[in-house]
Amino acid sequence: MNLQLGVLEEMILIILLMKDETYGVDIAKEYESQLNQSISLPAIHVVLKRLEKKDLVTSKMGEPTAERGGRRKRIYQATNKGYEAARYLQQKRSEMWKAIPAMNFSFQ
Amino acid sequence: MEGNSSHEFFISVSTNKHRPPLWADKLLIYFCRQDYADEILGDLHEAFYWRLKEKGPGKAKAKFAWEVIKSLRPKNLKSFYHFSLNTMILRNYIKIAFRTLLKRKSTSFINIFGLSLGAAAFVLIFLYAYQIISFDDHHEKKDKIFLAYKERITPDGVQPAFDTWAPMKDRFLSDYSQVKAAARIYETDSRIVKNNQYLEEDIMYTDESLFDIFTYPLLYGNEKKIFADKQSVVISAEVAMKYFQKENAIGEVMEIFLPDEDTTLLYQVSAILDRLPTNISYRPNMMVQIEGIPVYPEIANNWGSSFLETYVLLDRKESAAELEAAFPDLVETLWGAEVRENTNFKLLPYNQVYDQFIGRKADAYTLLLIGFGILLIAAINFMNLSTAQASQRMKEIGLRKVLGAFRGQLRTQFVTEAFVTSLIAILIGVGLVFFIAPYFNDFFDVSISFGLFSPLQILSFCAGLAIALGILSGSYPAIYLSSLRSIDALQQKIGFGGSANFRNILVVLQFSIALFLITSAILIRNQISFMTQRDMGFNSQNTLAIRASASDFADRDQGVVRLNTLKEQLRNKSYLTNVALSRSIPTRWTRSFTFVRPDGWNGDPLRMRYTYVDANFFNTYDINLKYGNHFLADSEGGDQRESVILNEAAMKAFEFDPSSQNVIKIGDRRMNVVGIVEDFNFESLQIEVAPTLMFHRTAANPVHTYVSAQISMSDLPTKLEEIEDMWNELGSTNDFTYYFMSDQVQRLYEAEERYLGMVTMFSALAIIVACLGLYGLTLFIIEKRRKEISIRKVLGAEIRGILQLIFRDFTKWVIVSFIISVPFVIFFMTDWLEGYHYRIPISWITFAITLAMVFALVIVTVGYQSLRAASSNPVNHLKDE
Repeated sequence: MNLQLGVLEEMILIILLMKDETYGVDIAKEYESQLNQSISLPAIHVVLKRLEKKDLVTSKMGEPTAERGGRRKRIYQATNKGYEAARYLQQKRSEMWKAIPAMNFSFQ
Repeated sequence: MEGNSSHEFFISVSTNKHRPPLWADKLLIYFCRQDYADEILGDLHEAFYWRLKEKGPGKAKAKFAWEVIKSLRPKNLKSFYHFSLNTMILRNYIKIAFRTLLKRKSTSFINIFGLSLGAAAFVLIFLYAYQIISFDDHHEKKDKIFLAYKERITPDGVQPAFDTWAPMKDRFLSDYSQVKAAARIYETDSRIVKNNQYLEEDIMYTDESLFDIFTYPLLYGNEKKIFADKQSVVISAEVAMKYFQKENAIGEVMEIFLPDEDTTLLYQVSAILDRLPTNISYRPNMMVQIEGIPVYPEIANNWGSSFLETYVLLDRKESAAELEAAFPDLVETLWGAEVRENTNFKLLPYNQVYDQFIGRKADAYTLLLIGFGILLIAAINFMNLSTAQASQRMKEIGLRKVLGAFRGQLRTQFVTEAFVTSLIAILIGVGLVFFIAPYFNDFFDVSISFGLFSPLQILSFCAGLAIALGILSGSYPAIYLSSLRSIDALQQKIGFGGSANFRNILVVLQFSIALFLITSAILIRNQISFMTQRDMGFNSQNTLAIRASASDFADRDQGVVRLNTLKEQLRNKSYLTNVALSRSIPTRWTRSFTFVRPDGWNGDPLRMRYTYVDANFFNTYDINLKYGNHFLADSEGGDQRESVILNEAAMKAFEFDPSSQNVIKIGDRRMNVVGIVEDFNFESLQIEVAPTLMFHRTAANPVHTYVSAQISMSDLPTKLEEIEDMWNELGSTNDFTYYFMSDQVQRLYEAEERYLGMVTMFSALAIIVACLGLYGLTLFIIEKRRKEISIRKVLGAEIRGILQLIFRDFTKWVIVSFIISVPFVIFFMTDWLEGYHYRIPISWITFAITLAMVFALVIVTVGYQSLRAASSNPVNHLKDE
């Protein structure tokens, strides 16, 4: 696997994996509750478009609702490739993490 | 389509108390790609209501707007194509316009360069002329403001005088209900005492009602009570910064020395004036109430001395005529029936104050006309070159027609091309003005800037200019080209026959304008050099005048003593000869008047200027005595108070016979006319020499304010430095001020010189732009006649003959233009010259010079290309058939 994923891209991909099916505002809410940090919707939209281009997520249009001003939502879902990519990164990361010598902590 | 249905839905549910800011919503709907709009907008809306609950309406709205703006990233935007269907065809027009521009680089260059020069000249002229034309427009009630003045009716005619009396204001207010407000203005110098130093500053004595008449916005202070009391001063923001290093200087105390009053008073700042535009006539630095100055009780009810200006605000401007009809009765009540006959009050509309005191608005309009002329010349270039090119675009036009283009579409196409060209040209032109303006200001000593306008005004001005130019220069080609029959066009049957006549007319028009401008510029130049070189009747060479007045000293008596020491010191300097003392000097002549009548006259007295000189004055200035004698030398007794010397103008005014002994009377005082001097021009030659009485006072008398002398010019700076040191030792409150009379004479014609400079510069521009067009046209004509020329050459024509062929047309055009321009020049320049009392005649030589000059330019412009065409090898142009 040779995929460059930014931190925000990875974070959102993981949220997508957690949620099965989701959309922009939901991602924002989840992100804020998980990380205690606010995020702007345009940033999420950009990341979603980027992930979609890399085939890590797919999307389809949903139904309009009143609170959206009558507009439909675009519902995103992680693909298998997305799952693989995220899993690969997690795995690599935990392997690398193990290699950190314990003594390093004494410097802190 | 989804967009539409969901939009209605959106309206029906948005009855919530708080909703996202509408503008942001609309912005996004307008710009966002349709296929992204639902997702982005929907998410933003949903997030808005979620945040509304969590963080309140303020934060939710702000966040919404911010996110809308952040969502407007390039990827999310509609492509240009999507905005509207109509833009498609427009885009095509613009695309074709750019292609045409690039395809014909030389003509495009001539068009754009010529147009941008024209636009730059026009904008420059506009900025300058606007300043003058809009002078004093700043005051909101300007239509109802009038300057009250008096008129003296004398046997010589009616003389206006703008100095009025202190009680006039209250009298007007109490006598006439049409007068809504009145205010007096008296401007003078004052000195601010700061750290034991005197700093000179203008001061205005006025009334609080001035603020009811004129628009002077306050930066700080109480609008209702601008002057807190009699010891209050209102200062400009500049003065506040200068003395207190802050704008809000309210409450600060200023120690002001008033030379006219000879006292130093403490004033407290009660208001700060906001910054004012540069083009208004009164820009006060410091204002105090006239009622607060110590001398006021003496002048308050004095109808004897007039020295201040009185402005009135009327209920409507038509009232002015009613008031002027009522004034004679007031004059009679004030001074009696006799005065009624020779004095009257008048009201000058405020918009005429500029012409009366500062300059001529007419000159600004003339310049504006020149600007239009240059713009027209540049637009004609464009018209001519585009129609001339018609034959080269025949195929394009024909094909478009065959494929079903309507005439209107073709027209739009050509107008779009013109518009694109003029827009580029104007952008370059305005850029050029930004770049040139500082040099222009420096050179002509004016201050134009875009500062009088807001950026929006500048933008709409440019857009308006581009549209006007586009229509002006594109309409004729559009109509002509679109009217061609498609079959003719395709077969290229049309040469440039049809439009050639019209094109010739346009070229003639261009050259008429250019010739008119050049001839006028030469005439203006001749008039100015005539004025500067003409014998003024006094010697201005090597003559130095130093201002030395006792009123420049804090202690007047001591000033007199010290000045007399200075005079003695100056007399002893070997490099100064003929030291003379006088009240006034040529170019800074007296403005004092007295009433005088010849002995034995019972008629009305004449109002005449008077001044004082010492016995040496006429000698220093080399003014010739025509009849009688000079004053006796100063050493032969004191002031010769019984004697007077007249100038010739005064002699004529009195109808004196110079051979007999003449006597004049001022009031009951009799004076002998001892001599009469030749008229000398103490003012610009624009004005006839005015009658003047010259009285004698010895050099020691404090009435004099100038020391004049001949100075040897070698090593001048050292000498001036020495005199300055002498001056500084006297302890005057004034700086050393000196004048070289030759400079002073030059300075009389500053306004004319500036006008000449501008007219010269813009005529040069006009002819350059016209020649540029001619050059383009030559290229085109030669191209069209190349085959003809080649065949003629093959058949044995000589180069000379071919050149004649090409030049014949141009010669005809220039001569016709010349004939057209002559009557216009004669008409306008006679009018202009009539403003000068001493003037040159309009001579035919001027016209000859202009004609020769323009011919030379045309030959240079047309010559090279023609010569090349005439001497080229005919084979090159014949072999392709």
